[in-house]
Amino acid sequence: MPKTIVCRCEDVTEEDLKRAFERGFRDLESLRRFTGFGTGFCQGKSCLCHAARFLAAVKGGDDMVSDPPRTRPPLRPTPFAAFAGALPEADAGAEEKP
Amino acid sequence: MRDRADLVIVGGGVIGLSLAYHLARLGFSDVVVLEQGYLCFGASGRNGGGVRQQWSTEENVLLMKDAVRRYRRLSQECGYNIWFRQGGYLFLARDDASAATLEQNTKLQNRLGVPTRLISPAEARRIVPVLNLEGVRVCAYNPTDGVLFPFPVVWGMARIASDLGVEINTFTRVTNIDVRGRQIVKVVTDRGAIATRRVVNAAGAWSPQVARLAGVELPNKPYRHEILVSEPVKPFLDPLVSDLSNGTYFSQTMRGEICGGLSDPAEPSSMESGSSLRFLSRMSRSLMRLVPQLGSLKVLRQWAGYYDETPDGQPILGRVDAVDGFIQLNGFGGHGFMMAPAIGQLAAEWILRKAEHPIFSTCDLGRFARGEQRRETFSIG
Amino acid sequence: MATARRLDPLPNTPFQYGPKVDFTFEGKPFSGFAGEPLALSLLAGGVRVFGRSIKYHRPRAPMCLHAHCSSCLMRVNGRPNVRTCDTPCVAGLSVERQTGWPGAGFDLLRAIDVVYPEELRHHELFTSSSALSRMATPYVRRMSGAGELPSGPPPLAFPVERQSVRVVVIGAGPAGLSAARRLSQSGEKAVLFEADALAGGRLLDGATRIEGDGDSTGWQRWKAWSDPATLPGIELLCRMPVVAIYPGRPPTVVAVGEDRARIVQPQRVILCTGSYDQLPLFGNNDLPGVMTPRALDRMVLGHGVLPAEPVALVGDSDETLRLSARLLERGVALAGVVTRRRDGPLVGALQDKKVPLVFDREVARARGGRWIHELELSPQRQREPDRLLDCALCVAEAPAAPAFELGHHAGCRVFFGSQGGYRIAIDDTGRTSRDDIFAAGHCAGAADVTTAIRAGERAAATCLESLAHTP
Repeated sequence: MPKTIVCRCEDVTEEDLKRAFERGFRDLESLRRFTGFGTGFCQGKSCLCHAARFLAAVKGGDDMVSDPPRTRPPLRPTPFAAFAGALPEADAGAEEKP
Repeated sequence: MRDRADLVIVGGGVIGLSLAYHLARLGFSDVVVLEQGYLCFGASGRNGGGVRQQWSTEENVLLMKDAVRRYRRLSQECGYNIWFRQGGYLFLARDDASAATLEQNTKLQNRLGVPTRLISPAEARRIVPVLNLEGVRVCAYNPTDGVLFPFPVVWGMARIASDLGVEINTFTRVTNIDVRGRQIVKVVTDRGAIATRRVVNAAGAWSPQVARLAGVELPNKPYRHEILVSEPVKPFLDPLVSDLSNGTYFSQTMRGEICGGLSDPAEPSSMESGSSLRFLSRMSRSLMRLVPQLGSLKVLRQWAGYYDETPDGQPILGRVDAVDGFIQLNGFGGHGFMMAPAIGQLAAEWILRKAEHPIFSTCDLGRFARGEQRRETFSIG
Repeated sequence: MATARRLDPLPNTPFQYGPKVDFTFEGKPFSGFAGEPLALSLLAGGVRVFGRSIKYHRPRAPMCLHAHCSSCLMRVNGRPNVRTCDTPCVAGLSVERQTGWPGAGFDLLRAIDVVYPEELRHHELFTSSSALSRMATPYVRRMSGAGELPSGPPPLAFPVERQSVRVVVIGAGPAGLSAARRLSQSGEKAVLFEADALAGGRLLDGATRIEGDGDSTGWQRWKAWSDPATLPGIELLCRMPVVAIYPGRPPTVVAVGEDRARIVQPQRVILCTGSYDQLPLFGNNDLPGVMTPRALDRMVLGHGVLPAEPVALVGDSDETLRLSARLLERGVALAGVVTRRRDGPLVGALQDKKVPLVFDREVARARGGRWIHELELSPQRQREPDRLLDCALCVAEAPAAPAFELGHHAGCRVFFGSQGGYRIAIDDTGRTSRDDIFAAGHCAGAADVTTAIRAGERAAATCLESLAHTP
């Protein structure tokens, strides 16, 4: 069988989701941590809906996945330099000056 | 879910699971673990995986020596690779006080058999060539400290414990602890009650709430601690680096990401678990000062967990005076994960009365009333 | 397999580019047109494999072309993991692939994919012996990670502009542009942030049609709407993605451009963040040459770059059928259209042009080594034989996933709908569960561009009304 890729960033297959579920990782957060989907460069933009749909199907309903995993900024990979000046000088504390 | 058990552990984080794991391996498995979320829901699933033996008290150095020994073999014991990589810990001191602390700690650690060395910034640069050490006076480096991948530690301990007969219930919230007279009789959850005479409070940041259910007040306070990871790149950083001037720490994970955080003296005690721009900004500045090239590396995600802090920086362990059968295993600040395998073993032996350990009398809740607090001065990173 | 070619440029596409410029690809001279996405310069120049996947070292090539996925990453000017689809081609760039051993094109580590046909249990590797584990760790470490540390002079902190404005609109697609127009007409000042190089979103798709008040194509509407002169009071900032909204009152909106950042704490936010295109699940759906319909639309209709042909199209939506027709008009060879739509004018038009239509099959798998060369179609009924469809490019449609994350992090309620995925919950007027944040369009579940345009206008009207009630 050829691999059916759910998460291209971390090479997670549809089969991986099934096996993880069988091993007891039966909620989105656990499934995500165990298989690694959504933890790569795109942070879930091309896999979260597939994984949620999988879980909704095996658990019997959309309400079984009503909450998405916690959203973790930034929305897209962004250089550290972009944030280094994001606080007013007084807030940042002189000791962290780059 | 079982309706009775010899022992109920509240909290399915690494502390509770390590206890369950060690109890089960000692042949005691009439144990139920109650976890309010999924495994890895609390601080155990949100930390950076640092494991160090560089501490300032004899107790903690010895404890962590033991923990490192146990972590070195955990992958084989539990069948999940925790990728424990002993790339060392490199502490940077920028002022006299921190330099003196490192010097004093190094002496203690050496006496106890931990091979920490005080090194010059020039020598530190040989270990991590990309570091900008301008303004750093002295560094402490122990090559046997390291980092690991936290999730498989939790899964592995849970798997073995449950193979050996421990029942682990996730998504189960404790709503009451029934105490008759002085004796615990029952734990009530949102999925039913469990008759028991012994309850271990290993609920981390939620410990004070759990203790209150049994009428016990703990002095622990939860503090949000934020952390982030970058995009993965090829290995360039072996040790975990920690800057004592502001509590910045960062290491490179097995996947190649930079993972780190820093302390925030302005963070109030709360159960806030959201991410802040303040942290992201401070961390970015601090990282760029230490490794200027990291400025163009990209942040992948930021998140937060809790430090479960006690007034003296030492955990709360053992019995409480007011309630029989109520055992504390909490207050580990940001260091529960690294201490877990050692603490789990000690607590299991202590609970089964196989061995005594002074830590359960010196680190009990009563120390605060007795005025016997002892401050661990090296709680950073 | 046909080689890559460029179609004759069209005068009316939104994507106009500059003169031919030279850059280097892995040290060799290469050229492209100034301003076009670098990924397209590479595809037009015959680059097929852009990189290798992290675990199985499967080949990767552009899939979404909208800066959502991770399939077109390369090292550009010394920075690792740069999305080449989101990087304009300019003279003098130094571009390299960064994964695979010895390289991305020919990668011996692809053997991992063969050795582990079912699954590679990375959590259980080397647990049999601690000595083995310790020995393997440095090698595993070296294999992970993508690319080396950034090189070149270290950057300075980006300048940050703090701005005080009442309304922020996030996303300048159909919903966002329509919301901004409504705000502008009422004399409201707003900032409109857009991640893409051009405003327009789905209006930039050649296959988009807007129904009602005089049907128009996406490009016609784009022409009418994207001119800043038609949006007085609105500051449109392209290539300036909002990367986070931190909850709090007011919310903190952080947008980051190429070399600057902007932080706004507005009284109101209108989320028009759109959606992420998805591929359906079938065997080898990650094979290079398999793309989303909108990726192909932008690449071929928008930019005139055709990496290979014939093209197979899989899908039932009007957009996919229209895309097929538009490709034909542009002289692109079609391998066939796999669809369950049997009738209607769009299907009829394809039949008239003698396009092979496959009605009762589903895609079982894509086949090919480093690039797709055929689709294996399985029958919906048993006893019918499998069928192969030769093709050199394949687009396959799946419900897009709403971009709910910014709203979710800001504290807006979201919910799951199996068509698409998580979306921001709104009422009929575009209100979210936060009284200072509104949402419209695909991020809140709109099914098409026409609906999104109406929703954007409505959300802006609701936003204006709520501002009127605020002292």
